[in-house]
Formats: sequence, C-alpha cells, structure tokens
Amino acid sequence: MNMLKINLHLRLISAVIGCSMSFIASAELVLVVHPSNDASLDAKAAQRIFLGKESKFSNGNDAIPINQGPDSPNRAAFDTDTLGRSSTQVAAYWSKLVFTGKGIPPKEVGNDAEVIAFVASNKDAVGYVDSASVTAAVKAIPLN
Amino acid sequence: MKKLFVLSAVALASFNTQAEVRINGFANLVGGITSSDESLYGYDDTMSFASESVFAVQVSADVNSKMTATGQLVARGKNDYEADFEWAYLTYKATDNVSVSAGRLRLPLFKYSASKDVGYSYHWINAPRAIYDVNFNNLDGIRLDYNNYAGDLEYNLQGAFGTVSNDLNTSVGPARLQVDNLMLLSAEATYNYLKVRASYVTAKASVANDFIDGTIKAAFRDNGLDELANNIAFYDDTATFTGFGIEYDTFNWFVGGEWTQIKIEDSFNPTNTAFYVTAGFRTGKWTPSVTYESFDGNNPFKFLDKVAALPAPFQPTATAVVVGLQQPFADEYSVINLGVRYDLDTNVALKADISKSSNDMNSAEDATLVRFAVNYVF
Repeated sequence: MNMLKINLHLRLISAVIGCSMSFIASAELVLVVHPSNDASLDAKAAQRIFLGKESKFSNGNDAIPINQGPDSPNRAAFDTDTLGRSSTQVAAYWSKLVFTGKGIPPKEVGNDAEVIAFVASNKDAVGYVDSASVTAAVKAIPLN
Repeated sequence: MKKLFVLSAVALASFNTQAEVRINGFANLVGGITSSDESLYGYDDTMSFASESVFAVQVSADVNSKMTATGQLVARGKNDYEADFEWAYLTYKATDNVSVSAGRLRLPLFKYSASKDVGYSYHWINAPRAIYDVNFNNLDGIRLDYNNYAGDLEYNLQGAFGTVSNDLNTSVGPARLQVDNLMLLSAEATYNYLKVRASYVTAKASVANDFIDGTIKAAFRDNGLDELANNIAFYDDTATFTGFGIEYDTFNWFVGGEWTQIKIEDSFNPTNTAFYVTAGFRTGKWTPSVTYESFDGNNPFKFLDKVAALPAPFQPTATAVVVGLQQPFADEYSVINLGVRYDLDTNVALKADISKSSNDMNSAEDATLVRFAVNYVF
C-alpha cells in the first residue's frame, strides 16, 4: 500500500452532512471507461472491481481499476458512497489481502485528469471522476 | 533452503522487465504492564515491549502472469527480534476463482488467521489468545482457495494438506510437536453485513518431551502396561480441530464471535474448548470495543476407568501417574477486554486496552493488564 492520508475536511463535512444530502457534499461522481468498452457497469460491479472481488468486466475482459490518491476529495466520496466504508476501513481491508497474498490494491493516480488520461489509453481500465471532468476521450457511466 | 528459494524467485523475476516486485510491511509496537506481582501474556509489573511487538516485511514478485512468489520475513520481540521467514510460498492462479499455494503458509483455521499478525487489520491489540494461541498456525504444504459469488452471496472454500513441526515450551519443559497428514477444510460465506465460517481439521499428532516420555516408560511400559502407556502417550494420535465463526458488521458497528474445539482423545492432552464474543462501534476515528474470551481445558481426568481395571497393587501408582500427566495441561480461564482503536492516519492506528483475566483453577493467577500499541502498514 502506498502512504495514505485522510482528507480531514472532507471526512468532517461528509460526517456532518450525512449521506441523505450527499448531493451537497460533492459533485456527482461517474465511472469512466475506454470508449470501446461495451461492458455493463453499475455501482455494485464497481464495488466488486475496486475491492478486488471481481477481476473481469461483464463482457469477460480484464478490468483494471484506477483509484484516486488519498488526498483527492473524490476518493473519500467514492469510498464512502460506492464502497460503503471509510478510507481507513478500505485501507484495513486491503491490509488483510496484501499480507495474505490474496490481492493488490488498485493503482492510484492524482486527480480526475490523470484518471481520464489513463482510461483513454487503456481499453481495460475503469476509474471514477467528477461528472464535470468527463471529456470525449472516455465513456462515462452513471454510478446510480 | 526456503530463504534461498524465495530470494532466487524474486531475483529471477526481477530479470524480467515485465515482472513487478512488491514490498509491503507492517509493524506492531505493543507495550504492556500488569498490576503488581501479576503476569499475563508475557508481561509483568514493569513496562515491557518484547512480548507482542512484531516487525515484518513482505516481498512478492510475479514469476509470470499466473504465478506469484511471496516471502514474509518476521521479527518478533519475544524471539529477540531475530528475523525469520515465517511464510514462503508460490501461488498459482489456475482460474479467476481458483488458486493453489505451496510452501510454508498460514493455515486458515480462524476468521483472522491470515491477518493475525497485522494489528492494523482489526480492532484489537491482539487477536483473542483463548482462540488464536494454537501451536499449528503455519503449515508446510499446499492450500487450495476457491472464491466465487452469486448475487450478494460471496463464498470462499479452502482446503489444505501438509505437516507442522514446532518447538513448544510446556509446564514440564521443552517439547517437540509433530503434526502429519494434516487435512483442513474451511468454508466462509458473506451476505451483505453477515459473515459465517466453519473449519475442520484432522491430523496425526505427536508431542515428544523427556519428562513425559520418561514417566510413561518407567511407570507403564517397564511394568508391561503397554495399553495404558499407549492411551496416555501423545504419539501418532488422531487430532481434530473444529471451528465456527459469525460476524455482523455494518461498518458503523459490529458484533462477532468464534468457537473452537481441539481434541486429541487418545492422549494426556485435555480437550480444549474456547470461544470469544466481541462488539464495538466506529465513530469517526475511534473504535471502542469489548471482548469476552473463555478457555476451558479442564475436564474429568481420562483413563481412570482403565486404571481401575488394573490389578489392585498397580492402582495407586497408576492413578498418580495418569492424573499427574494430565493435571499440568489442564487450564480454565476467562478474559474480559475493553479496548479502543484510534485511526491516526490511513496506515497508522493507535490502540489501548485493559484486560482482566480470571483463572478458574487458581485465582492467584488472576491478572489485570494494560497495553498500548502502534500499528503501521506500508
């Protein structure tokens, strides 16, 4: 695992606002894949792929999850809303798998632009970005 | 031999430009102190860090797209931080659902077996000893893992086969444990917040100890009482392990427990039955929890009926020996533990707990222990 850091402010904000009003806490996240990727994807499938429980898309192609670094506000929102647990709990989850040889956490990049750049150049990649960051280089899939 | 094997596998892999070598590590720095003149888990009434502190580095390398070599070098305070390859194995990923590992690896006896040493991965300072302190956690052999899911139901089946050899410290001196033909089956299922598991092991086990072996020879074999000698001796005897676990974890709060039983009927070793229950909740960076654990290895003495069948002159000595060999291994205690975890960072946790141990056989062994810990992963 990389050195991870919690984004304190976001954690506080999301704790205060709570999930019932999550549309205020952050802009909407969407999944992004290569334009040629015809797999069907939803929040449940993304959760499995980002937790290492599923290694393939619904169409049978390998899935390569691209995470955002711990300092990215989108990371905290993705962990809480899509993975259903805090970034700390996600880290504890991976520590179990890493030290038993059962899994490797997803590769991390710094921000939305880097996610899009990676996904645009790799037909197996899947990431998440703020819907406002989406460009024509990738295909966006809603998380809800 | 194993070190060479792992290092050469890693070196080999690094010649391949495609190969990825991953280095991860974890550290648990644990300090503890008991109240006056008591001892528990290797701590006494002066603050010490040796008993449970662990530093470990894991190196894994992809030999090819299907095969991974993993070695875990572990330095434990109780062994004066002498580093040892506790795990060294090759994993072959046969399909997306099936993998086969061979070498020295962790036996999946318990819910937290795999991550027992990684303090960061759970809420305790250490996994409950009544359950987790067994002498056969690491296996030399082969393990098969099968993972799959159907809708929201995830399931995992594991099978293992191999041997265990271990040096033990017993109340009657050093002993050698040898476990052969060990076969394990375990199944775990997760459905949303609920997780259940079961595991079963059968094996042939022997314990060699000078005092025990000498006593059995002098008291029974030398007097022609071979049947009684074979009953009481712990030699090539069938050993079974049965374990169940359940957990409900909503991520905001959790409750769980495990129950295990170890039986080696045809030996002086008592049947050990243990369980724990634990509960806690997560509020921001804090995870307070409470755990109760119980260990019962205090049973009616075995083989007294066989002694009663002996000619009368043999009976007093035979009774003394049969009881004398079983008594040192009888134990019965419970521990109540209150603990708290604080997530300092996403790879560092601080913990503190207090444990109150009650010995049901000898209240002079009751103890209260306070511990502090720093858990780190990288």
